[in-house]
Amino acid sequence: MNTIEEKLWNYIDGTCTPAEQDAIALLIEQDDVYRKKHQELLLLNQEFAAIELDEPSMAFTYNVMETIRTENARQPLKAAIDKRVIMGVGIFFVFTILALLVFTIANIHLQSSAFDVNVKLPTSIKLPNAGNIFSSPVFKWFVVFDVVLALFLTDSYLRRKRATKHA
Amino acid sequence: MQSKLSDIDLITQTLAGNQSAYADLVKRHQRFVFTLAMRFSKTREDAEEIAQDCFIKAYRSLASYNAQAKFSTWLYTIVYNTAMTFLRKKRIATDSMDDEATFIQVENHQSAFDTDNVENKSRSFYLNQAIEQLLPDDATIITLFYKGEQSLEEIAQTLGMETNTVKVKLFRARQRLKEKLERNLKHEVKELI
Repeated sequence: MNTIEEKLWNYIDGTCTPAEQDAIALLIEQDDVYRKKHQELLLLNQEFAAIELDEPSMAFTYNVMETIRTENARQPLKAAIDKRVIMGVGIFFVFTILALLVFTIANIHLQSSAFDVNVKLPTSIKLPNAGNIFSSPVFKWFVVFDVVLALFLTDSYLRRKRATKHA
Repeated sequence: MQSKLSDIDLITQTLAGNQSAYADLVKRHQRFVFTLAMRFSKTREDAEEIAQDCFIKAYRSLASYNAQAKFSTWLYTIVYNTAMTFLRKKRIATDSMDDEATFIQVENHQSAFDTDNVENKSRSFYLNQAIEQLLPDDATIITLFYKGEQSLEEIAQTLGMETNTVKVKLFRARQRLKEKLERNLKHEVKELI
């Protein structure tokens, strides 16, 4: 049902079966209409193949790479953190919880009359006095440093927000 | 030496953190990507925006690229999807490109250009002019087939169509291109006479 043109395009593109290819080749050889059309389409095909590609601006590659660099720089801190660090912190907490759980289970004394849970910390562990920690000069300086840091971060956040708004 | 590296080598280097390898990849494909973008946008500014967007999207999802397929096929799929999204955003209906009004607009735009370049007109100029007057889909198929070194199967993959559909579309696109080319040349001959 294909038209002559369709058959010939398939022949030129090489998308028909070997049997069709042979049949069309024979027709081109024997039939004037086929031969003329084939010549015409071959010329057209050559012409189409000579289409010129457009050229983007000179700064095209630079602009693409600059956008990529800017995007990478703007990546949030959470994405830049190494996953191994997160894993390490997670493992530490899991290990601590498991250790406490094992310690607690080891201290449970099951008796026939009552379920007695008596967890006692080892006497060798000496916890520091909380009162001393909060009144020490080191803690006060730590608080001052935190306040300054918080003010600095708030300031830079607000500046960034304002710059984005103006952009 | 760098330019002799294959696309896959450049991608591997990019994924290892070498950004200049990606710059080489961009340089290698920019002309074709830009030409494809031009088939949809018709203005250089928009085409550059689309093409840049494509390379940035490709960079972002480079890790998900499957090396089994040709990089160009994968990239052209991104170009096609980005260009279609762009058209939708700009509210330009694809088929409206064949409307009388649009056609007149394109023709007038070309005529203005023609008066300055009568001397320099060549057959390739008329061919490019005729491509500009085609529907974006037709122009894309013609460009992919003749300049993208893409087989019908690869074009089908890029455009998300059946191979047979692409074959039929390519045939029709060639017919339309031939008609437009003949019409433009006839018009020019009349002008000269």
